[in-house]
Amino acid sequence: MQDTNVMLEARSLSKRYEDSVLALNEVSFTVEKGEIFAMLGANGAGKTTTINIFFNFIEPSAGEARVDGIVTHKDPLAAKQRLAFVSENVMLYPNFTAIQNLDFFSRLGGRKDYSRSDYHEVLLRVGLQEEAHDKKLRGFSKGMRQKCGIAVAILKDAPAILLDEPTSGLDPKAGFEFMQLLDTLRNEGKAILMSTHDIFRAKEVADSIGIMREGRLVMQKSGAELAAENLENLYLEYMAGKTVEA
Amino acid sequence: MFKIIIENELRAILYSPKFVATFATCSLLMLLSVFVGIQEYRASVRQYEASLSLADQQLQEASSYSGVNMRTYRAPDPMQVFVSGVQNDIGRFSDINASEALKLTNSVYSDDPIFAIFRFIDFTFIVQVVLSLFAILFTFDAINGERERGTLKLIFSNAVSRAEYVLSKSIGAWLGLLAPLAIPVLLSLMLVSLFKIQLQPEHWMRLAILLAAAVLFFTFFVFLGVLISTLTRHSSVSFMLLLVSWVALVLIVPRAAVMAAGQIVPVPSIAEIEGREDGFAKSQWRTYEQQLAKRWQQRNGEMAGLSPADRQAYRDEHLWQWMEQDDAARTEIQEEINAFRTKLNEDLRNRKAELQRSAFTLSRLSPASAFQLTAMNLAGTNIDLKSRYEDSMASYRSELIAYGRRKQKESGTTGGIRITIDSEAGLNISTGRDKGTLDFSDMPRFQPPRRSLAQATAPAVVDLGLLALYSLLALAGAFVRFLRYDVR
Repeated sequence: MQDTNVMLEARSLSKRYEDSVLALNEVSFTVEKGEIFAMLGANGAGKTTTINIFFNFIEPSAGEARVDGIVTHKDPLAAKQRLAFVSENVMLYPNFTAIQNLDFFSRLGGRKDYSRSDYHEVLLRVGLQEEAHDKKLRGFSKGMRQKCGIAVAILKDAPAILLDEPTSGLDPKAGFEFMQLLDTLRNEGKAILMSTHDIFRAKEVADSIGIMREGRLVMQKSGAELAAENLENLYLEYMAGKTVEA
Repeated sequence: MFKIIIENELRAILYSPKFVATFATCSLLMLLSVFVGIQEYRASVRQYEASLSLADQQLQEASSYSGVNMRTYRAPDPMQVFVSGVQNDIGRFSDINASEALKLTNSVYSDDPIFAIFRFIDFTFIVQVVLSLFAILFTFDAINGERERGTLKLIFSNAVSRAEYVLSKSIGAWLGLLAPLAIPVLLSLMLVSLFKIQLQPEHWMRLAILLAAAVLFFTFFVFLGVLISTLTRHSSVSFMLLLVSWVALVLIVPRAAVMAAGQIVPVPSIAEIEGREDGFAKSQWRTYEQQLAKRWQQRNGEMAGLSPADRQAYRDEHLWQWMEQDDAARTEIQEEINAFRTKLNEDLRNRKAELQRSAFTLSRLSPASAFQLTAMNLAGTNIDLKSRYEDSMASYRSELIAYGRRKQKESGTTGGIRITIDSEAGLNISTGRDKGTLDFSDMPRFQPPRRSLAQATAPAVVDLGLLALYSLLALAGAFVRFLRYDVR
């Protein structure tokens, strides 16, 4: 029976590319409403592939990804209505202002009821200074663009947010503010799936953490279980080849 | 969703520096070309009117009905402001008389060869070359550029269908290019009104169809740009591919088609035709001279043994009859030569028509050719312009010759030059001015060939259909390809 609290679910998710590379191998996990699940792993471990399958950018070779019970590759449009996305390198339209970008992506996400003041409010909430709101993105730093990307995700107001290396390139202060923002979103009941290299921030904010290696989810523990452990050592052990825990 | 993506695409285009560049270039070129076209047209009108006055003056000075030489000019057409076509390449006038063959001579380019080097810039050129390049510039990164920027992934993280996206993206780019065309076109039409160029309702209809053809033409390049950008991952690659495609479609295929047709359908050169004409005419005149000599021998034989007074009396009595005989023989020979010339020219024209058909059919593989042929057909400056005028002038020539003969008969003179040689009176040359005052008031005047809207539009329908087909194929290709495009 479907757990009504589960918003994101990977069921024995596998992906083999045309060049026979097995990018994902029987990956299963769930993310509930009001939960942050952080996926750790080296480059090529399968984190981004997992996120891509949730958005149906690619189809799984086996298994399925579900969003609020909807199988993503069977009804991708319905699934995407419930998902928001923040990528590693947010690249919006450089010739548009921050507000114009927000307006376009909000309307694309089905929200046509926002006013300019709503956009200003969200941009202030993600930490973008007011004087930048009506400037073209061409001159924005990576951190500023990232904030715009997060604002886009917030404005969509989807029940689940998927973030692919969201803190990559952010300075420590911006990274801290970002984690606070995630905390707020979790408290609003959003299900959050985040891939990251940032072990410390993951431990700080995530309700559960998974470690991926060579396409497999080799470890998954709750924050409470990890409280007494040294996550960095654990991560290095799994990266070195420690076998999958039961 | 359609509206949102189209609006966004339009906004992206309008905010981009390339839009400013496109708009400025299109406006400048369009206005400049129309302005120059208007000046050329007005000069043609002045020249045409002056030629009509000159022709009237020449008539007043004419000494006989048979010796009338009418220089007949091509009439200017206001559509030449927009589509110069072949009108600068073919001659502007032909002398029309009983003895010379029709030939349109003194083209604009033969008078001023400098213009033949780089040609004039007209509306067709701007659409065919400039606007198609801009269409590529607007769309080469329509899809793969979004992927490279990362915006494609973000767009498709929303509930956007691929079909909807590629269609609205194409329409957005199309609308974005329509503005740089529409505004200068409107300004150009205002310029035409400002200079009081008389456009009849039929001209407006032709212009409307011409604009529709221009829109269809750049629609193809917009959709081709979208198609290539869905076939490639990187915008640099799609730009290269599109440039190569543009060179092939706009510059190579039309020329290659004509060259290939030339190999398939050999056409004798003008020199060959003239050589055959000349050979036949010489042979006929030789025969005529031999027969003339015989007739004179016979006539002299009839007068042998007569006294000088009787001889003169006999000659005076028969001179008119002899002249009629000689004239009839000369006319017969001339008619035979004319018939042979007509036949040769008809053969040549048939061969050329076949060559044209083959060349046009092959060249229609290129939308640029299809557009050019449509534009020239609509403007009446197509390749038939020369033959249309030559046909009209030929029938006018026949009318004029018949008129001259009729008037001569009415005035009771033979016309032409009369040469008499007499042992006593010596050589006597008279121009044989027709009896009485020459009245040319009822002389037929040359009417430029008329081409109805239906005649102009009918051949354009095929090309318009082809342009629509090419555009649809490009769009369908982009559509199908994008359904499986990797947005990552």
